[in-house]
Amino acid sequence: MDSGIYKEELMDVYKNPQNRGKLDDPSVAVLERNPMCGDEINLQLSIKDGIIEDARFDGSACAVSIISSALVTDEIKGKTLDELKTYDRRKVLDLVGLNLSTSRVKCATLILSAVQSAIKKYESTNK
Amino acid sequence: MEVNKIREDFPILRKKVNNHDLVYLDNAATSQKPARVVKAIEDFYFNYNANVHRGLHTLSEEASEMYENARKRVATFINAGHESEIIFTSGTTDSLNFVAQTWARKNLKKGDVILMTEAEHHSNLVPWQIVAEETGAEIEYVELGKDGDITLEDFKSKITPKVKLAAFFHCSNVLGITLPVKEISKLVKQNGGIVVVDGAQAVPHMSLNVQNLGCDFYAFSGHKMLGPMGIGVLWVSREILESLDPYKYGGGMIDLVEMKSSTWAISPEKFEAGTPNVAGAVGLAAAIDYLSEIGMDNVSSHEKELLTYAVQKLKEIDRVKFVGPADVSSRHGLISFYLDGIHAHDVASVLNSIGVAVRSGHHCAMPLHKKLDIPASVRASFYVYNTKVEVDKLIEGIRKSIEILG
Repeated sequence: MDSGIYKEELMDVYKNPQNRGKLDDPSVAVLERNPMCGDEINLQLSIKDGIIEDARFDGSACAVSIISSALVTDEIKGKTLDELKTYDRRKVLDLVGLNLSTSRVKCATLILSAVQSAIKKYESTNK
Repeated sequence: MEVNKIREDFPILRKKVNNHDLVYLDNAATSQKPARVVKAIEDFYFNYNANVHRGLHTLSEEASEMYENARKRVATFINAGHESEIIFTSGTTDSLNFVAQTWARKNLKKGDVILMTEAEHHSNLVPWQIVAEETGAEIEYVELGKDGDITLEDFKSKITPKVKLAAFFHCSNVLGITLPVKEISKLVKQNGGIVVVDGAQAVPHMSLNVQNLGCDFYAFSGHKMLGPMGIGVLWVSREILESLDPYKYGGGMIDLVEMKSSTWAISPEKFEAGTPNVAGAVGLAAAIDYLSEIGMDNVSSHEKELLTYAVQKLKEIDRVKFVGPADVSSRHGLISFYLDGIHAHDVASVLNSIGVAVRSGHHCAMPLHKKLDIPASVRASFYVYNTKVEVDKLIEGIRKSIEILG
């Protein structure tokens, strides 16, 4: 049931999401959109020796998308790019730990698309 | 109008959603169906099912008669001049694509202008983009005026002899406004253009005299007016009908087929190639009968009453911002809004948790939302079975979402 996403502990994340903001000197930055609902997430990554050193996100999005972005940006810090390439929807949904209706799954996975585009962009410009 | 009695005709309204009574306020997307409409479809399949206009056997003749009777009922309902002006399609989108792919593609050329408003539904926008690309015609938009309204004045400066086709909504699915179709049509026609009207949000909610509007094409869907999905109508004026080319080719629309060429039947068969959606047409006719018994003027005034009540209640919540004019006088039975700082999807999810179904998103009007600079909005749309108690539930849910999401 959708209302489950509005649990208090998650609402704390929604109201004060970790990693929201911008990096001073990101290695890569992407803007990911979900045109169906108008959500936009800016993701910035700082990458050194193939490892995510830091991650920040910003943008206008719904609670599910913000909560998922906050949790995922925490999760990916310290991971290698190769490790991140194995991340899929299942992994992100497990991480967010929400029982989402089909129509809200894409809100939660917008940040995953952002991470994937960022890695692709980073690798194509740092060959 | 006895709403409680009407509600009994809609089995789905007894459904519980998340342990709450379903409050269905997404009627602009699709309406619910009275038992009578579903029964009419069942009756067709159980007792009359056959292909139409083909067989000489009894069933085929009965099915053909039911199909043509449905056409007559539609013609009467919108006050068409003759039933041959009624072409059955799969819905408004299909009807609008019909005009784009037939009349527009054949008649438009480089230098011509296709005029729309900024608030069109994608189904009355994308087909014209494609035609413009193919023919070299240019697209121009009537812009949203102040207060989120679009008026005849806003159209005036845009209507020139270059406008060969104007396509616009009768009632907006987002702004909730009704355009003065008759006055706009007159101006466009005086300048030598033709007029296509998207009536998807109008026909379910008001009495209509399509001949009085002065347009050339009028499109609408069955499923938004208590009828089944997959059936819609394109009304075509007499003057245009004769010269219009077929949209699709195949069985049922021919006069004579030879090895190298064919000739066409007359309207409406000419425009309905393939086996038509007979059960859909029969269901639509049952929906029309149901609405006619209530009376379309009663439908309009009931919705207006709910809208007025909802707007008054919504105004009491500071965070609520209206999309389109807040003045209810120019509105029909729907209201779009957003809450400062809370995404429309979150509002809709909280509402769903107490059984209230609303639409959230861009309602197939992305350019409009971009212009208004909001990512998405919430839309509550009313119909014959909705009540003030249900509006109260909507307000309760909005207050709850502010409480939770801050």
